[in-house]
Amino acid sequence: MISALKTFTDRFLGRGEATITVPSFDGALKPNQILEGAETVGQFDAPEDLATDGQTLYIADGAAILRLDGVATAEVRRFDRAVTALCCLPDGGIAVALDGREVQVFATPSALSAKATLSDPSIHAINALSAGPGGTLVATDGSAAHPYRQWAYDLMERGRTGRVLSLDIASGSIRTVAADLNYAFGVCAAGDTLFVSESWKHRIVAITPNRDRRTVLDNLPVYPSRLSKASSGGFWLTAFAARTQLVEFVLRENAYRRRMMNEIDPEYWIAPKLKSGQSFLEPMQGAHIKTMGVVKPWAPPRSYGLVIRLNDSGVPIYAVHSRVDGANHGVVAAVEMDGSLFAVAKGPGRLLRAPLTMIEQGLRA
Amino acid sequence: MSDTILTLRNATKLYAGVPAIENVDFELRRGEIHALVGENGAGKSTLTKVMAGVVTLTSGTMQVNGVDVAPRTPLEARHLGIAMVFQENSLVPTMTVAQNLFLGQEHFYNRLRGIYIAAQQFLQSLNFDVTPTATVGLLGAAKKQMVEIARAVLHEAKVIIFDEPTATLTPEEKKYFFDLVRDLKRRGVSIVFISHALEEALILADRITILRDGKHVVTDDASKFDRARIVQAMVGRDLSNTLYGTRKTTVRTAGARVLTVQNLKMAPMVKNNSLSVFAGQITGVFGLVGAGRTETFKVVAGVLKRDFFHGGEVILHDKPVRYRVPAPAVRAGIAYVTEDRKVEGFFETMSVARNIYLGLLAKVPGGRFFLSRREAEKIGNSWVEKLRVRSTGNDMKVVELSGGNQQKVVIAKSLVQNPDLIIFDEPTRGVDVGAIVEIHELIQRLADEGKAVVVISSYLPEIMALSDRILVSRGGKVVEEFSALEATEEKIMYAAVH
Repeated sequence: MISALKTFTDRFLGRGEATITVPSFDGALKPNQILEGAETVGQFDAPEDLATDGQTLYIADGAAILRLDGVATAEVRRFDRAVTALCCLPDGGIAVALDGREVQVFATPSALSAKATLSDPSIHAINALSAGPGGTLVATDGSAAHPYRQWAYDLMERGRTGRVLSLDIASGSIRTVAADLNYAFGVCAAGDTLFVSESWKHRIVAITPNRDRRTVLDNLPVYPSRLSKASSGGFWLTAFAARTQLVEFVLRENAYRRRMMNEIDPEYWIAPKLKSGQSFLEPMQGAHIKTMGVVKPWAPPRSYGLVIRLNDSGVPIYAVHSRVDGANHGVVAAVEMDGSLFAVAKGPGRLLRAPLTMIEQGLRA
Repeated sequence: MSDTILTLRNATKLYAGVPAIENVDFELRRGEIHALVGENGAGKSTLTKVMAGVVTLTSGTMQVNGVDVAPRTPLEARHLGIAMVFQENSLVPTMTVAQNLFLGQEHFYNRLRGIYIAAQQFLQSLNFDVTPTATVGLLGAAKKQMVEIARAVLHEAKVIIFDEPTATLTPEEKKYFFDLVRDLKRRGVSIVFISHALEEALILADRITILRDGKHVVTDDASKFDRARIVQAMVGRDLSNTLYGTRKTTVRTAGARVLTVQNLKMAPMVKNNSLSVFAGQITGVFGLVGAGRTETFKVVAGVLKRDFFHGGEVILHDKPVRYRVPAPAVRAGIAYVTEDRKVEGFFETMSVARNIYLGLLAKVPGGRFFLSRREAEKIGNSWVEKLRVRSTGNDMKVVELSGGNQQKVVIAKSLVQNPDLIIFDEPTRGVDVGAIVEIHELIQRLADEGKAVVVISSYLPEIMALSDRILVSRGGKVVEEFSALEATEEKIMYAAVH
C-alpha cells in the first residue's frame, strides 16, 4: 500500500523512479565533430554491421557481405535474407545472422557452404555476434516480440525480452546466458566475461561465466549498441541514437504511446531515429532545433552519431560525435583496423573512416 | 562661465584617523566623461562619496560652479545637481521600479498608474528593458543597475557619478550604457566614471584620473594613456600580462564527478538545465544576464528551490540531493560565493573576523550555544592573513572595507567551511585589478588542491583565463561545452546568443 502510494506521488510530482531526466554529454562524452568530419569510405543501400579479421574489413549491406579493398568494395557472398549481424572468428571463419532468426557459420568468408547453421524458434532478433570464450559464439537476441527491423516497436512497448545466447558451433546447441534484458544489442567477450549493451536501460552489463550480472556503465545519455575490441585494450561502443527528455516522457505516458503506435506512421513517432530532418511531418522541429536556417548542434537530438571508447573496465575515455547539425547519424557498428576506426552510420548509409591519430588530434584541439 | 563644474582641493577624509583620501586635487569639466581609476582601497569610492554628499571632507574644499559647497547629504548634493549611481545598489527592494524612480519626488496624492506610465515612457526612452511595475527585489543585478542609472538621469543631474556601472552588465547592455553616457555628455552632463575594466575607461573617457593609496597620481587625456600605463600608475607594478593576458595551453584533467544536474527546472529562469562538475577542475559558466546560471547554482546550494513538479535532479557524489535551505548544502560540502556580496555575502556591521567565523558556524549542525570571541578572532586573523585582506584592525567592520577586500571576506567565509565544491558567482565583480589577480590565484590554487570549482562570470576574458572547461548557458540551460583549449570568444558568444 505504502509502495503504491509512493509510486503514485512519485509519478505525480516527477520524483524518484518517475524523474524524467537525461544525463548531459559531458566528461568523457564531451561533444565534438570528429565523427562528422570522418572520411566517407563508401555509400551503401543498407549497411548494418562490420567485422574484421585484422587484415580485411567486411561489411554487411542488406543481404550481401562486402569486402573493402582499399576504397572499392567487392561482394563476398549474398543471401536470400538481410544480414543482421556479422563477426569474424579466430579460426578464420565468419558468422552471419540472417534476418535475426538464424546464424550461419562459414569456414572462410568465401566458403561455398555453411559449416554450421544454428537456429531456434525462440530466436527473433539476433543483432550482434561475437567470438565467445572456449570457441563458442555469443549473440544478442534483442527482442522475443519483434524482429530486428522493428526495434522501435520494442522500445515503445518497453520490451524486456532481450537475451544473450551462447552458440556452440560444433554441437549446434544454443544456450541462454542471460534473459529478460531491456533490448540486448551488442556483445563482446573479455576473457570469460561478456560485456553486453542493454539499450533501453542505457547501460552496459558484464555477465560472468556463472551468469552473475554486474552493471559496468549506466545512465548513458544514449542508446548503446554494438561493441568491438580496441587494439590497445578496451572496447569501442556505438550508440545508434541519443536520449531526449521528450522520448523519455512519452515512454512514461502509456495511453499516449499506445495511441501514437496505433494511429501514426512509425516514421513520425516520437521515438529515436537513425536519421532526421527528412520531412516536415517529423516531430521535434522548430526554433529550439533551428534558428535562422541553422540547425543548432546542441539542440535535442532526434538522431545522433556516437562512438564511445571504453577502457578494459568499461569506463568511457572519450567519444567521437556527429551532432544534431551533422549527418553521420545512427551509428550501429564500429571496428578498429589498421590504425583507423571504421564505423557504419546507418542513417545516411555511410561507411566512415577516422584514423586514430586524427581522433587524438581532434580531441587535443 | 568657467569651464570647470566641480573642483576638489586638498581633499582629505579620515576614517578613525586613517586617511582614505589625502590631499587629493580633482577637477571635473563641463560635459566631459572623467574616468576615476585605482586599486581597491585607492580612495575612488570615498572621493565620489564626498562629491555626492554621502560623506563629508575632514579637510579641504569643494566647489561647484566656483562656489564653495559642503553637501552633507545626498539630497543636498542632488540640489547642487550631483547624483550618484552606487556600486552596490541603493534601491528599495520592496518597491516597484517606478516607485524607486520617483522616490523622494512624491506628492501629497500619488496616482500609481500615472507614475507607471511615466516610468514606462522614460525607461523606453533610455532603451532599458525593465518593467516599471516589477518589484525591484525580484530583478537581477543588471536590471537593478539600469534602474539606478535611470533614476540619476531622471533627476536631471548636471554631474552624474557612476561607481562601477558596467560590472553587472552584459556586452550588449554595456553598449547601450556607453551610448547613454555619450548622449548625456552631448546634453552637457558631466560624468565621473569609476571602472575596473580599464578598456572601458580608455574607450569612454575624455580624461582619466588615477589614485593610489588615497593619493592623486596623475590626471591626463585618455588618448595619452594605454592599458600598461594605467596599470603601472595604479599599482606601481606591471600586471598587464598576468591579468587575462595569456591564453591557456594546458588544462587540468577531470577528477571524479562531484556534481550532476539533470533537467533542473526553476521557472522561469532555469529550463531543463543539465551539467556536471568534476573535481580538480575549474568549470567556467558563461552566459548573458538571464541565462539562468546563478539560479541553477543557487538551487544546488539550497538558496533557491527547484520546481515542485518535475523539477529535475541534483546529484552530489552520486547521491540525489535536494536542499531546501543552504545549511544542509554547506554541511554536504557546497560553498556558494554570491555575486551580490552586500546583500547576501556578509553582515556589514560585523567585524571581518566575526563574519568569517559565522561561515564556520554555518557548517556546525544546530549551531552553537556559546560562541568564543577568541576562537573567532584566531580563525578570522588566519584567513585575513591567508587572503591578504587589507583592513586597519580586527574590529574593522566589513562595510568599511573596499569592494575587493569585502569580496575576500566573502570568499574566506566560504573557504573556512572546507568545501568540496566551491561556486564563485562573479568573483571579481567590482574588484580592482590587484585583487583580481589575487582572487584568480586563489581559485586556481583551489582547483590544484583537487576541489571542484565553478566560476560563473559574464566577463569572457575572465572565463577564458580561469576555466579548464567552459559551459555556455542560454535561455535557462547549458547549451554548449568547450575545452579551454578550443574555446574562442566568437565560439562562446555564438553559443550564448543563438
